[in-house]
Amino acid sequence: MSLSVGQRLPDATLVRMGAKGPEQVQLSEVLKGRKVVLFALPGAFTGPCTTAHIPSFIRTADAFRAKGVDEIICVAVNDPFVLQAWGESTGATAAGISFLGDADGSFTKGLGMDFTAPQIGLIGRSNRYALVLEDGVITQANIDEPLQCDRSTGESLLETI
Amino acid sequence: MLHEGMTLPEATLLQSGEGGIHPVSLSEKLKGRRVVIFAVPGAFTPTCDSAHLPSFIRTADQFRDKGIDEIICIAVNDPHVMRYWGRVSGAEGAAITLLADPGAAFTKAVGMDYSMPERGMLDRSKRYAMLVEDGVVKRLHLEESTGVCEISGGESLLEAI
Repeated sequence: MSLSVGQRLPDATLVRMGAKGPEQVQLSEVLKGRKVVLFALPGAFTGPCTTAHIPSFIRTADAFRAKGVDEIICVAVNDPFVLQAWGESTGATAAGISFLGDADGSFTKGLGMDFTAPQIGLIGRSNRYALVLEDGVITQANIDEPLQCDRSTGESLLETI
Repeated sequence: MLHEGMTLPEATLLQSGEGGIHPVSLSEKLKGRRVVIFAVPGAFTPTCDSAHLPSFIRTADQFRDKGIDEIICIAVNDPHVMRYWGRVSGAEGAAITLLADPGAAFTKAVGMDYSMPERGMLDRSKRYAMLVEDGVVKRLHLEESTGVCEISGGESLLEAI
């Protein structure tokens, strides 16, 4: 599917780090009845994701909450151990941003957002996009061209809501 | 399936360093040298982070005293994650080489892959350590369970060579 306003995001089983270790979670349950910002990026500990994309949502997290956003979620094709370490080292976890791992890449592939760059070890990863979702339906979609980090930043998304 | 006496298959792994990410030919790395290779399920996973990698950091100098030319850690992670893990764990400081097998090609070729999707771990490597001389496996310490680190630890391999 394409990510466009008015569409319902397909359900997916993602993995997050719970109190007792990794646990699976249904995306539809996370989104149900709530206003959520969901942004996706190529990978934990990769350059622009660490220096630009994640910081843009750390900077704007409070502003999103002031606009009624219940949760800010980062999705990446990484395992929950790596995402936890990255969330802690970047300050994103402290800023209240949650992480959901699309470990097998099936959610990302289903959206048609996957790309592969084997020379830098990125296989079946996600292009950058940022969405506002209300009760699971897309109300704003900011999608970047591959390798860009512009429309999908926190500030760009915040301007639209 | 990996076993003592076998010649390791050729594989291209990725290393991330000051100059960026570059491919490493495993057969060139091993040719005419005595190398210790250990493999772990994943960067930042509990047993790898708290036991397996530290055991080789502790024993690195003793391996070198025994004529080991290089100590290499392999995991099915991308090189971005491996580099950061190497830095924060102290492996980089102990001059342990971290090689990424992001598509699991090497790990699958030696029959060491496993998956635990409920924990977000797909096509990861079983835990093992081996002494490799001129590309041939001379000692293999394969852990029966991925969740423990006993026979595959640095001290255990050190005793065996």
